[in-house]
Amino acid sequence: MKLAIFELTDCGGCALNVLFLYDRLFDILEFYEIVEFHMASSSRSKEKVDVALVTGTVSTQRDLEVLREARNRSEYLIALGTCATHGSVQGSVENAKEAFRRIYGHVKGPTKVLEPRPITEYVPVDFAIPGCPYNKEEMFQVLMNLARGVEPVAKDYPVCLECKLNEYECVLLKKGIPCLGPVTAGGCNAQCPALGLGCIGCRGPSMDANVPGLVEVLKEILPEEEIARKLRTFTRW
Amino acid sequence: MIIELDEFTRVEGIGKAEIVIEDGTVKEARVKILEGPRFFEVLTLGRSYWDVPDLEARICAICYISHSIASVRAIENALGIEVPSTVEKLRELALWGEIIESHALHLYLLALPDVFGYPDAISMVSRHGELIKEGLTIKALGNTIRELLGGREIHGINIKPGGFGRYPREEELEGIARHARSLVRFARRIVGVFASQDPRGAKVDIPMATEDYLWGSELIIGEDKGQYTELDEVPVSYSFAKHTYYKGKPIFVGALARLLLKDIHGEAERLLKTYKEKIESKYVIYNNLAQAIELVYALERVAELGEELASEGVEEGLVEPEEKSGEGIGYVEAPRGVLVHHYRIEDGRVVWSNTITPTAFNQGIMELSLLEDARKMYGLLPEDSLKRKLEEVVRAFDPCISCSVHFVKL
Repeated sequence: MKLAIFELTDCGGCALNVLFLYDRLFDILEFYEIVEFHMASSSRSKEKVDVALVTGTVSTQRDLEVLREARNRSEYLIALGTCATHGSVQGSVENAKEAFRRIYGHVKGPTKVLEPRPITEYVPVDFAIPGCPYNKEEMFQVLMNLARGVEPVAKDYPVCLECKLNEYECVLLKKGIPCLGPVTAGGCNAQCPALGLGCIGCRGPSMDANVPGLVEVLKEILPEEEIARKLRTFTRW
Repeated sequence: MIIELDEFTRVEGIGKAEIVIEDGTVKEARVKILEGPRFFEVLTLGRSYWDVPDLEARICAICYISHSIASVRAIENALGIEVPSTVEKLRELALWGEIIESHALHLYLLALPDVFGYPDAISMVSRHGELIKEGLTIKALGNTIRELLGGREIHGINIKPGGFGRYPREEELEGIARHARSLVRFARRIVGVFASQDPRGAKVDIPMATEDYLWGSELIIGEDKGQYTELDEVPVSYSFAKHTYYKGKPIFVGALARLLLKDIHGEAERLLKTYKEKIESKYVIYNNLAQAIELVYALERVAELGEELASEGVEEGLVEPEEKSGEGIGYVEAPRGVLVHHYRIEDGRVVWSNTITPTAFNQGIMELSLLEDARKMYGLLPEDSLKRKLEEVVRAFDPCISCSVHFVKL
């Protein structure tokens, strides 16, 4: 099978995380030939691929063109990481045009700038793996499933579930630390509560999230404006 | 006529370059950073200082620890927080871990294919598999350290103003120290490999680094000492990254600047003496060699610091701020060079912020390198080879393009 990795505007972490598979990258290479991966290879190809991984937000005209190319060239397209699935940090900016003007003044820049948006707003995707960064185990399993002809299954439980399974002390109720675990999609194995810190919501909203309920709890700890800002850091909700 | 270099490969982020030819001679070189704007300075505004380092970590995945630490240092300077020496040492350990992860990535997976003439490291595996595996092993140790202290391999939230969320245990520190010591001999091999490169790129006129090896309250700028505000930032129409100059000249930050300006010791110092002539020739291509020597130094420092911290014991806790308002700068040596975070905080909220990253500092000399090399090689080489060789010089900067696209003075 042929695999391509396309990067739009982001921090580079989602592409880098593929390399952080270390030796297991060779397991992927047993099933897949990587035909495009600009961070890791100078090879360029225009051939059709079975699976495309797309990372980042659509923030420029160039990004949009690359995304369209990725969709046209691929059988199965995976939105990889929170930028691609929910917009993440640059997608959370209010009024990008005004922000751009404040940063660069009236200098135009080398390509047309668009409001940063997740790729899901521009093209249909076949599967989405959120996370800033995504859990590389999850990505590995999804690719392995596809190689075996099995449709992968999305995770639909909140971070709280994994936190409870690990028997971590509840940072929100026991320590009074703001935590977005109750409304954030699980799959990260509750990494932030494991450190004794609150979940920052980097995997985006979980299904059936009771946001008003959490806001009521957080109001005891934080001003409302700050709650809204926390909820909006990785997604627009 | 314009020779367009395709989008750079084996670098972080999206960028390209063009060489302008007029009347058969090379007139100009332009580096075009195409990565979309990321708006970090705007996103920090109004946010609680406590949440800012977690946000700033997202500027870059390869060097998220550097961003977290520059951010907490700036916040601590602003709010008068003084952390105990164990916290300082653990942060130093985290930064060395990041240098290991980042240099190993660049040297073994991104730059090495240039030395051996391959399109990527994966296609090198059948003939040079040992070297690639050694590189992946070293890189994995860097990430183990980042996970231990930062909270996870990428974008952890464990580095906080005033200390850490979770502190490492004695046996974890001993483990990484032992592991680091055992990898020094692998790193020594890669020094020899990169010493073989021919001189290319511009010569570094004004190297810039932080006062101490990994951070400081002042910068060394060539022969002078000063603050980043003494540099001139210039926006350019063809790129999303501004250019920075000191007294009208381009500066250079990164491993080569550090080795030119600071002292190292141990096995790494011996290697530096062996290749002194190459480093002191100041050609930017030797930033690769400088990184290789620094990789040896990083492994040795991790071993020393890890042993020291394991025997002294780690004091846990978080130091609370005395004030909730103030202004502070954090200078840190990211793997690619000087990184600046600067905030003004009022009543616990960030009201003004500025970030300048190493790749932004290096834009000027990157263009100069392309210009000088294009002048030397244009007409002597077929266009494809010329483009390939020019891209190799860009790669020697180990650019981190995502970082470079969002600096601002609000």
